[in-house]
Amino acid sequence: MDYLLDGIATALQLIVTLDAEVTHCTLVSLQVSAIAILLASLVGLPCSFLIGMYDFHGKKTVITLFNTLMAIPTVVIGLFVFSFISRQGPLGVLGLLFTPAAMVIGQFLLATPIVVALSYAAIQGIDPRVKMTALTLGARSHQVIITLLLEARFAIIAAVIAGFGRVIGEVGSAMMLGGNIRGYTRTISTAIALETSKGEFSLGLALGMILLTVALSVNIALRYLQHKSK
Amino acid sequence: MSHHEHPLIVVKDLVHCYNSTRVLDVPHLSFCRGKIYALLGPNGSGKTTLLNIMGLLLRPTSGMVLYEDTDLLSNPGLMKDVRTRMTTVLQNPILFDMSVENNVAYGLKIRGIPREERNRIVRECLAMVKLDGFQERRARELSGGEAQRVAIARALAVKPQALFLDEYTANVDEKSIEVLDEVVVRIRRSSDTTVFLVTHDTRQAHRLADEVISLFAGKVVRSTMENLFRGTMARINGLSVFDTGRIKMEVVADKQGQAHAAINPRDILVSLQPLSTSARNSFRGTITEVLSEGAAVRLSVDAGEVFKVLMTRASFQEMKLDVGTMVYITFKSTAVEVL
Repeated sequence: MDYLLDGIATALQLIVTLDAEVTHCTLVSLQVSAIAILLASLVGLPCSFLIGMYDFHGKKTVITLFNTLMAIPTVVIGLFVFSFISRQGPLGVLGLLFTPAAMVIGQFLLATPIVVALSYAAIQGIDPRVKMTALTLGARSHQVIITLLLEARFAIIAAVIAGFGRVIGEVGSAMMLGGNIRGYTRTISTAIALETSKGEFSLGLALGMILLTVALSVNIALRYLQHKSK
Repeated sequence: MSHHEHPLIVVKDLVHCYNSTRVLDVPHLSFCRGKIYALLGPNGSGKTTLLNIMGLLLRPTSGMVLYEDTDLLSNPGLMKDVRTRMTTVLQNPILFDMSVENNVAYGLKIRGIPREERNRIVRECLAMVKLDGFQERRARELSGGEAQRVAIARALAVKPQALFLDEYTANVDEKSIEVLDEVVVRIRRSSDTTVFLVTHDTRQAHRLADEVISLFAGKVVRSTMENLFRGTMARINGLSVFDTGRIKMEVVADKQGQAHAAINPRDILVSLQPLSTSARNSFRGTITEVLSEGAAVRLSVDAGEVFKVLMTRASFQEMKLDVGTMVYITFKSTAVEVL
């Protein structure tokens, strides 16, 4: 019991004193995940609009594919990207392996299906009269899209936050693609895995608390937006 | 031809099909600037289809929609431009999930109208529908009637040349109906906008419109669409009889099988005793409703089916009629339009 309490006390101390290791891991985590989710939104939101607004051959298959990809294990994505960027891989010359950029690629692939699938659902949920009404008032295609985006704004932000929630805490692809290099590609989650196995329980605990706080904030924001979009 | 007599919209050889069923078939209709037109008809008569084709929301299977003498359907560039000069208020319209002000200003923003002018127009249009000061309210929190009024204000804001209103008083409270009818009258007086309203309410159509176009089964008919009954046609003793299931009336028509029949309320006579005339149809019934309509009185008479009858106030008073009075209604077989 003392072991646990001591751990928590030390962990709190590490957080309060802004321990260099803790701060750095947190910053890397936030940075990588923020860039990944930004890219995922830039690609995913237009994708979901195209799928939502147009009828095309194989539409159902595409939707099923994105829904399936939402649940793909992070190590599988790690493996997939690894096979491309490892020294022998087709993109090996770029020297991306074990860099934050590689982690961004992995997390981007993890987050995009979530952003697409959830914002597609949000767009599907928009009353068809909204588009019709925008047209009757003289809106051109791009103005119609902006109107729909505004109409589903809460649900779409919720989709982006859910995507962020998926990547901020993932270990698999970050470990495989980033290599858990201290001060460079070590994130909160990879650090927890390492430190705990090393016996540095309190450091792991401190990082766990931070991750929990981030996850909690994300979920509170999500709950708030989902409530608002109803 | 003066500016006002020149048609704004003309439709020619318009045909529209749903799943190979012909739901609209209009050889020619022409609509002048600044007038109010009512498209009247029962459900499924094609009135909303015609409205949506003219409002450029629906592409007809074939035919032409001429706007100021140019066919729009074969001219997509012009169609885009004309779309910004007309607007439709959908039946059961939806407001955007934003403030009332932003809803009314929507079409103005799209047209790039500067802020001050936008605010002024929003104020004017909200005043017109008697919702002054509603700017900051959240649109989705309004009552049905208020929402309908905001939808009309939003349409008026773009100062359309043609305004299409689809059943704009359906699902709306009494007060809002009054306000909205008044708005339509005011548009007629104060602007050049041509108004098209779809309705199945004959009285509303005749009260507001300069011209009423009756549609039935996708075709323009001359009927007033009142006293519209569904039934079957049969030959009995060499006579054509229309049977509603409750009453049978003699008609002049060759049609067989399923049919509709309409009788103009002005063509029905009311008397306290049976009339000895050549009119072939006479039924005994009870007055169930009395409505004043200017110099005329509109009665509902239940004679197996409920008939609407229009008579002068003078004869109504002379006969001392009231709700509950037993009367005879009489009309000629030629007064029955079989559709």
